[in-house]
Amino acid sequence: MATVRFAKASRIYAANQAPAVNRLDLDIADGEMCVLVGPSGSGKSTALRMLAGLEPVDDGAIFIGERDVTEVEPKRRDIAMVFQNYALYPHMTVRDNMGFALKMAGVSKPEIMRRVDEAAKLLELEPYLDRRPKALSGGQRQRVAMGRAIVREPQVFLMDEPLSNLDAKLRVSTRTQIASLQRRLGITTVYVTHDQVEAMTMGDRVAVLKDGLLQQFDTPIGLYDRPANLFVAGFIGSPAMNLLAGVSTSGGANVLGATVATPGTQVAADTRIVLGVRSEDLVVDSDAPDSECLTLNVELVEELGSDAYIYGIAAGSDTRIVARTAGRQAPARGERVRVRIRPEHLHVFDEATGVRL
Amino acid sequence: MTMSDLDYSAQVLTRHKRRSTRRIVRDGVLLVVMMLVAVVMLYPFYFMINTSFKSNDQFLNGGGHSFASWAKLNANLPWARELLNSTIVCFSAIALILIVSTMAGFAFAKLHYRVQTFVFLGIVAALLIPMQSIIIPAFVNLSRVHLLTSYWGAVLLYAALGTPFATFLMTAYFRGLPDDVIEAGIIDGLSYGSIFRRIALPMAVPAIVTIVVLQFIQIWDDLLVGLLFLQNTDQRTITVGLGVLASGRTADFPVLMAGSLVSALPAIIVFLIFQRFLINGLTAGIGK
Repeated sequence: MATVRFAKASRIYAANQAPAVNRLDLDIADGEMCVLVGPSGSGKSTALRMLAGLEPVDDGAIFIGERDVTEVEPKRRDIAMVFQNYALYPHMTVRDNMGFALKMAGVSKPEIMRRVDEAAKLLELEPYLDRRPKALSGGQRQRVAMGRAIVREPQVFLMDEPLSNLDAKLRVSTRTQIASLQRRLGITTVYVTHDQVEAMTMGDRVAVLKDGLLQQFDTPIGLYDRPANLFVAGFIGSPAMNLLAGVSTSGGANVLGATVATPGTQVAADTRIVLGVRSEDLVVDSDAPDSECLTLNVELVEELGSDAYIYGIAAGSDTRIVARTAGRQAPARGERVRVRIRPEHLHVFDEATGVRL
Repeated sequence: MTMSDLDYSAQVLTRHKRRSTRRIVRDGVLLVVMMLVAVVMLYPFYFMINTSFKSNDQFLNGGGHSFASWAKLNANLPWARELLNSTIVCFSAIALILIVSTMAGFAFAKLHYRVQTFVFLGIVAALLIPMQSIIIPAFVNLSRVHLLTSYWGAVLLYAALGTPFATFLMTAYFRGLPDDVIEAGIIDGLSYGSIFRRIALPMAVPAIVTIVVLQFIQIWDDLLVGLLFLQNTDQRTITVGLGVLASGRTADFPVLMAGSLVSALPAIIVFLIFQRFLINGLTAGIGK
């Protein structure tokens, strides 16, 4: 077990291109599950591969514990990796796949057998030990890939989108298993995903990346409640946060014809801002005064049983807004509804820089 | 089930029956065409086998079978020795081809260095050179280093001629190996050499078998290289021996047919045993 630290680590592919990973600073605690999340091209997989030693570090350094591993070859970093496509050796049985790295490291046969059997028991792979990967389902192969990493008893687990090839139902059940396994083993884990739901449910802390730059590194609830900038605000949370352009007034903001108080935010008046409102903070309220309400022309209603999401266009503009309401009280398509903005959980961002104010 | 459900089932099954009849007729026509093609393709083999079991008289005047031609072949062609020579030359050349092409293919596919493209294009360009245009310089060179009196001359030339295509095939195959399997090997502590031996080669068995089969057929059936580069009569391959027999005995056709059968059988057997690997090996690497 060990800490992991990226110290202004960069990966640059070509002189005339922006760095794929741009001076990344990240401090991951011992035993922590850190999730790297971001859209395609954000540098999350590249950062993971730099930690694994599969990509060179062009600037800065990477530490595992107190050891600078920037120039250390992968086999000496004491890491284990689970790949997106599992990367199992097709000509070997499950047992041989799981024990292969230990065999290469010169571990004794009885010890290899003990560790493999233990991991197989933990992952419910005992009936499949003598099968080859082609005779396994996707979920079973994924568990074999996990088992291959577990038997090495590394200091750090690296996981590169291990659930992306599973069907939706299996993905949900497997991510719970991975999270509880990681807590049980207590091994520092760096987990890459593009799915923000996966990030929020699995990570102790989540690092949001965009275009190679770290946007925010915080707990899931910290990202949800206090997004550092417009990108994080729009990326985290499903459905995405409503981002409404407006102008600050003294003590509040004017957006789409409605005036909203913005307590806890110190902004000079007449500053162009973007107001972030989550769907659950827009309340359908036909009795609220006009000045505090937005009127929505309902385009679509998503009924989810206990809740419903109203997708509409704000009257007098082309701004799309989503509001949450109780499942059995949803309006119909084509109706006009009035929604009041609750001021307690508003987010105010500078329109020019995107930074939270 | 209601009456209307039963009527519906009967209706659907009747439609199926009509479709089946059309399919039967179509399949029947296909079968007849394919049988005709099969007859055309197999007739030469039938002719060869049938004629080899006749004496020259029986062949010329029709009627009857005998082992006379086989007895004559045994007396005039040291077929066992020549089969052994063919086997030695074939498998030695194939071993060299495999050693070079597998390593080169892996390097081209998975390692990246500056002049890689030029080197690969150079090897592929060698495929364009007809063997007949280099045979005389090759003869001169090999005679200067005294390799015409051993198997090595023919073995080295067959290996040189077969390696470009084999390298091309292995490169295409190794390109289809997922990079993350290689990276998993690196994380597991393997060097590139170990990855090649322990992971890439076992995964490349279909391509290797394809190369073995194709090269075996090509080398086994070759006449020109064997005739020029195996100067000792003791080292003649079966194809060369048959060629010599043909030049001396133009009138005895059944004996030639018996000799051709001896020569063709090993290649046919190898092909029949390994044919399913051929499709896998030739089409591997295409697509995801």
